[in-house]
Amino acid sequence: MNDQIDDLIAAHRDEIHSPPPATMQRWHDAIDDAATSEQTAARPANTSFHPGSFVMGLAIAATLALGIAIGFLMAGSETEAPATIAIADTPSAPMPGALSRGLQVHFRDSRDQILNLPDADDPTLLVLRIIEQNRLFENAAINSDAPKLARVLRAFEPILLQLAADDLAPEDAQALQAQLAFELNVMLTKLNVESSDDSHTT
Amino acid sequence: MNNSFKLAMVATLLLLTTSSLAQTDDEDFRMTALEALIAAPPERALPIVEKVLAGNHSTDLKERALFILSQMETPESQAQLLAFANDSQGGLQTEAIRMIGIGGDKEALASLGQLYRGGDANVREAVLEAYLIADDAAAIFEIAANTDDEEEFEDAVEMLGAMGANEQLRELRGRNGLSESLILALAISGDAEAVNDLVSIYQDAETEEIKDSALEGLMIAGHDEGMLQLYRSAGDAADKRQILEYLVMMDNEAVWDLIDSALEGSN
Repeated sequence: MNDQIDDLIAAHRDEIHSPPPATMQRWHDAIDDAATSEQTAARPANTSFHPGSFVMGLAIAATLALGIAIGFLMAGSETEAPATIAIADTPSAPMPGALSRGLQVHFRDSRDQILNLPDADDPTLLVLRIIEQNRLFENAAINSDAPKLARVLRAFEPILLQLAADDLAPEDAQALQAQLAFELNVMLTKLNVESSDDSHTT
Repeated sequence: MNNSFKLAMVATLLLLTTSSLAQTDDEDFRMTALEALIAAPPERALPIVEKVLAGNHSTDLKERALFILSQMETPESQAQLLAFANDSQGGLQTEAIRMIGIGGDKEALASLGQLYRGGDANVREAVLEAYLIADDAAAIFEIAANTDDEEEFEDAVEMLGAMGANEQLRELRGRNGLSESLILALAISGDAEAVNDLVSIYQDAETEEIKDSALEGLMIAGHDEGMLQLYRSAGDAADKRQILEYLVMMDNEAVWDLIDSALEGSN
């Protein structure tokens, strides 16, 4: 695992120390999705729009986006600290609803990217970006006192690290992709069911 | 679609389509059916998962079933995972161990210590990974502190480094002294105090291995200033050359001036 972590660090070191446009775009998409799902979920129970929840959704997405920026800036500083430390220092805004929606976007995007990994221009870089995103959500889960989610997110990382390895046999890569896609899908379904239950009980 | 209908569909798909296991379509179909179980209440889903685990199904399908078990979060599902971790072998056993990490049940996690002691390399690796998933640095520290096996110590220390478990790494340094793996783990963990110590660790090193590890640690931590300090204070030409190589790898701005000075014959 150490070699893989070294590879990860080396790869990050080679990157430009600013938030990658693709990452920022995904966060803009996440904000849009959060807004859309908030409006959709609010309509059946009550036709009014819930600006408070929406603003909180935007706030947590913005906090996480800020975390990305801080993480990348920290990566470029002299006494480099892991992204986890940078995120832990950001103001925590426990908002399970927004976290749940953000995670749904993360699980869905990650699943789609994992399944299409063989077609990616740079599969290793894509997997490293997923790991980066995964760590952000892991920290968000910890800050929101959601240890079960944090553990599941943490469990994805060793598999993702294996997938990032250049010397992985195609059949092994395929098996890992299938496993991750299944687990991401299960978590997506679970979160959907929990969100649905919450909206019916409120 | 109500839960009863979903369950009936899942049970039908899983238990009645067992005649052509080799067919990929059937396997995919069963995976999808298994996935749908997460939407069912645990008391309804558990018996079906148990049948899958006991049945003549592929290892892949059983491994997916273990993940479903980990997400049920009931004492019964955790007991099933523990039973699988204890009684099965190979990929299913290591997957069950991973799922115990995801489940986070303290008793189940504690029982992994016994599996670690009696297990082969794959089981030991799976147990360390389960502790990493459960964020149980104390359990990994116990393994590192109580083993006489150098490889086991290194694996545990590497895991602590990946977890950023600074406190446990410092404790190990106090107990066991410095080793190559511990120096690298301290650098990876992002412990600022330990990273700053790497300069004096290099200067006081009694072996080439410790000196090399200190340089690697400085590079991993991106501590340019520390590396430059070592370059300037190095009296030996071979040491200077080695440190310069690291500075080049670190893409340090000052390195070109240093090279220029070296070519001019000054320090």
